[in-house]
Amino acid sequence: MADLTVKLGTLTLKNPVMTASGTFGYGAEYEDFFPVSALGALVVKGIAPWASHGNATPRIAEVKGGMLNAIGLQGPGVEAFLTGEHYLPHLKQTGATVIVNIWGKSPADYALVAERLETEREAIAAIEINVSCPNVKEGGLSFGTDPKSMASVVSAVRAKTTIPIITKLSPNVSRIADFAIAAQDAGSDMISLINTIPAMAIDVNTWRPKLANITGGLSGPAVKPVAIKLVYEAAKAVSIPVIGMGGIMSGLDAVEFLLAGASAVAAGTATFGNPRAPLEVIEGINRYLDERGIKSVQEIIGQVKIGK
Amino acid sequence: MMDDVACPVLSNITLQDSYHKIIFDAPHIAASAKPGQFVHVEVDDTTEHVLRRPFSICDADAETGHLTLIYKVVGEGTAKLAKKPAGETCRILGPLGTAYQYKDDVFPVIAAGGFGSVSTMFLAKKTPRPGIIFMGARSKHDVLLVEEYRKLGWQVEIATDDGSEGFHGLITTLLLNHTNDFPAETKIFGCGPAPMLYALIKTVAPLKFPCDVSMEQHMGCGVGACFACVIKVKDPTSPDGWRYSRSCKEGVVYPSTEVYCG
Repeated sequence: MADLTVKLGTLTLKNPVMTASGTFGYGAEYEDFFPVSALGALVVKGIAPWASHGNATPRIAEVKGGMLNAIGLQGPGVEAFLTGEHYLPHLKQTGATVIVNIWGKSPADYALVAERLETEREAIAAIEINVSCPNVKEGGLSFGTDPKSMASVVSAVRAKTTIPIITKLSPNVSRIADFAIAAQDAGSDMISLINTIPAMAIDVNTWRPKLANITGGLSGPAVKPVAIKLVYEAAKAVSIPVIGMGGIMSGLDAVEFLLAGASAVAAGTATFGNPRAPLEVIEGINRYLDERGIKSVQEIIGQVKIGK
Repeated sequence: MMDDVACPVLSNITLQDSYHKIIFDAPHIAASAKPGQFVHVEVDDTTEHVLRRPFSICDADAETGHLTLIYKVVGEGTAKLAKKPAGETCRILGPLGTAYQYKDDVFPVIAAGGFGSVSTMFLAKKTPRPGIIFMGARSKHDVLLVEEYRKLGWQVEIATDDGSEGFHGLITTLLLNHTNDFPAETKIFGCGPAPMLYALIKTVAPLKFPCDVSMEQHMGCGVGACFACVIKVKDPTSPDGWRYSRSCKEGVVYPSTEVYCG
């Protein structure tokens, strides 16, 4: 058994595997399949200051090697999250390392959520700022495609919380390094990427888009090479830890992200097809390391060989 | 007990046109499955098709451990399933979702649109006594399992859109024509396409009979995590009077009075 412990700044995780926000509900949904405390971290679905319905249906469509979603950040809002029996109070009892994804329509909205989460800082390992959701009209991606807007959100959150901050970057930008650096400079403790890639599919029988929202976000194995490239570039640009995600279906996929420079990874779409996928990714990383006699996962982080 | 297990295919045959019947050895599901529940089936263990396919449980036998599904080939995923020979396995997650609720003295009335008669077959086998099933379909080619229902003692009434069999018109009209025959202990169970179910909900609202409907939307995870498969349910605490409910978790079977039609 290799040492799977990873350090993300001040945060130490028992292994590098998280659940991608929006793919693991609020944690309780998958407790029938494995103890969620086995995860490196459990990242919950996006929390806003308010409760929100999300988008009309259909919200999901399968494509070759992946899927599109346009859920639209349906959620209970921060107050219900802090006190509702299915949310944080339940997560505290599971022993899981909890990361809370947050979103809003203005920097002040993000700051408000961060301020409320600060009241539970013992129970929350990190806050992940979602500035990259392609499926909401306001907020989301509109902050994530301009480094200055993004930095204003990160600064606003930083001012209200002592909890480590992760900024989740969009792949839909021309130079990822600019965004990684802007997040770092604004006080983000880590960055995570990629969010889904804006995409669309049309039903050739009905001539209608397959999603009610018309467009959505592409995830799954199809996006992995895009994600690897962006993680590689972002990790080179900053000194803060990078969390890599995008189409991780196996331990070997995760290893590829670690080699590219990610200090931790997240499984997302894989969980929809296989509820035990995050656990199998952890086991797969361990097997890879054991087979090669590598004692610690930290030995492979960023070790992709470039040049001779 | 709900779980995710690799289940051997015992048989996989064509019923009629694009309709197929597959039987799995799935004791973990057969032991506890209730009418109205569904299973989430992995049709492809490569990464080409990343999502599972949800299917209503058509029959589940706790003694033999057999799980029967009837499915229509509508795309690449179901086409792959149709090619699975006996002996291969599929991972099956289930049983999932809520079940039809009824009392021991119930007189069951089923309103099944199109493919819905597959899902209600399991119900028809489990209710304490047979009742009446109203089947609505586009044409006579889309009417499924008539003989199977009759063998169980059910009265079968058929409505087709094109008049090629039975009543020429809507299933809800046909059902209303028969309500005088329904005893006091009647409960109505609806399964079918969304427009038919919303019409059914409105049709039964003024009647004195309770009604359960099986509602669904395009599904992702099947366990309530992804929030893809939502339908609107009434919620007096919401400013809009409704909220989105995850049909895989809080459904697929809902009391008709809880579904928001608007």
